Amino acid sequence: MKQTDMSRTARAGGYAVQTAGLTKRFGGRTAVDRVDLPVPAGTAFGYLAPNGAGKTTLIRMLLGLTAATSGSMRLLGHLVPAERSAALLRVGAMAEEPRFLDHLTGRENLRINAAAREPAARGRIEEALERAGLAGRAGERVARYSAGLRQRLGVARCLLADPQLLILDEPTNGLDRAGIVEFRLMIRSLVDEGRTVVLSSHLPVEVEKICDAAAIVDRGRVVAQGSIAELSARGARFIMLQVGDPSRAVMVLTGHPAVCSASEDGHQVRVALGPVAGDAARSAAADISRRLAGAGMDVYRLDLPAATLEERFLEITHKMQDEVAA
Amino acid sequence: MSVVTIDRVSPRPRPRAGAAAGRLVSAEFLKVRKRRGLVAWTAILTGAIVVAGGVLALLHAQDPAKYGPAGGLPNLASVGYMLSLLGAVAAVLAGATMGAGDLQAGVFRDLVATGRPRLALFAARIPGALALLWPLVAVSWAAACAGSVLLAGSHPRPGLAVMAQGGAWVLLAVTVAYLIAMGLASLAGSRPVTAGILLAWQFAVTPLALALSNLGVPREGLLTAALNRTIPAGLLPGQRPDPVGPAMPVTVAAAVIAAWALVPLAAGAWRTCTRDA
Repeated sequence: MKQTDMSRTARAGGYAVQTAGLTKRFGGRTAVDRVDLPVPAGTAFGYLAPNGAGKTTLIRMLLGLTAATSGSMRLLGHLVPAERSAALLRVGAMAEEPRFLDHLTGRENLRINAAAREPAARGRIEEALERAGLAGRAGERVARYSAGLRQRLGVARCLLADPQLLILDEPTNGLDRAGIVEFRLMIRSLVDEGRTVVLSSHLPVEVEKICDAAAIVDRGRVVAQGSIAELSARGARFIMLQVGDPSRAVMVLTGHPAVCSASEDGHQVRVALGPVAGDAARSAAADISRRLAGAGMDVYRLDLPAATLEERFLEITHKMQDEVAA
Repeated sequence: MSVVTIDRVSPRPRPRAGAAAGRLVSAEFLKVRKRRGLVAWTAILTGAIVVAGGVLALLHAQDPAKYGPAGGLPNLASVGYMLSLLGAVAAVLAGATMGAGDLQAGVFRDLVATGRPRLALFAARIPGALALLWPLVAVSWAAACAGSVLLAGSHPRPGLAVMAQGGAWVLLAVTVAYLIAMGLASLAGSRPVTAGILLAWQFAVTPLALALSNLGVPREGLLTAALNRTIPAGLLPGQRPDPVGPAMPVTVAAAVIAAWALVPLAAGAWRTCTRDA
């Protein structure tokens, strides 16, 4: 997106985060590569990338912790870094693993952070601790906190800003299963209040369960973005078949218009359909079943797994790896 | 996907700069006063002269012929000089901690991410720790002054003006040491490195350089030489420690002290504002 286009859109409203051509290089290595990222306000947005693909670097640039090599960015309509103070006033952020002053209690750590914010921030400390599930442990020194408690305290620190935008970097790291479920509910409740959440993660399942939309990133470049449903549906679909004669089934299905490839997978046949939407995939599965039956073959089982973001993510990132290897 | 339309978020007006700075200073004071080890060492170092005075008083009481009075002007001068050295050690420890503490703990980035200017975060470290150092030094000096009057014996008693000037000079020495340490720690980003370098400079390099008369007048550029030149005349009538050549004018000494304080401070401020958080 050109700078002029971006400014026009920001003036029109609608985006909590907007980057254009955002790039960060460390010497000869490009960590973030011309990222155009429009994050709609009032949504949970996932920034999904494998480890080392530039997630944290992007977040650090958004927060003004490190300078961008080129490109522009806006937070809540304010240009960063030019209007950084105004932009960050209503932003709560957790970049990398949350760190604290270990010799202070959880509550005292929040007091330190609140002091750097507006006066009202101090009045939000107890509410933030309560919401993060830390009210009972806030008087303990952070040195005694587990990784999960530190993660919760990091979230509480974000809430001190009464944030319109939360930027969370791998926020479920260190949480146990119950904590993860609780965290998802909390994020959704924040979004329901009209806040925007940008969540970076290397876990497609987390993004799928929490977010409304996502960008898939590989080696610093956004390679796909859209709503979760759109992203998942864009990927190739597979059918797993259990038939009497897998070798013959492969021959029968070769040449079927909906089939990209068919191969034996042990006693099963794996059929790749290519990028098809939900109804078309079901129609193709039914047609495949009819063709096999028409060829006199017994079909014991046919699985058409639901399209998931994880499949799409792995498909994209593996394809990129294959391209690099080639 | 629902989209909430927003325009530029109109931030609530920032509070007055003074109030905002006050909260930051208060937060820095919280950080430093909760460091039990640092507080204990500061109390020990600054309180050592009171203990030493007590021992001298006991010795004098037991054997007045052998041990002179613990108080009086000459002893107050010695106590002032010792307090400036020990207070400077405490100041170096505090400065190194305050300058590099946030960075090493990893919380500097979270403070920067609040949008508060980095320079404001840096500046708050100065009064934040001095709020701990000054009272402890002042209490020790007050105790030393009281002892010097009450236990003067045959020695001349110090006047109020001398006591006030001496106290101000000790506070100056401690403050300068703190500013240097805080600035260098902010520059280096390491507490142990900063403390190690400064203590070695103060207790090994400086005495050696002052003792090497071949180095001549340039030795007056050393902080200790400049500070010695500014010791209140009433505290050391007719004598000066470590003379390093022709008497340096007080204005030059003041400029040397200011340079020693401001150059590391400026370097630390620059690094704080430019480093990746």
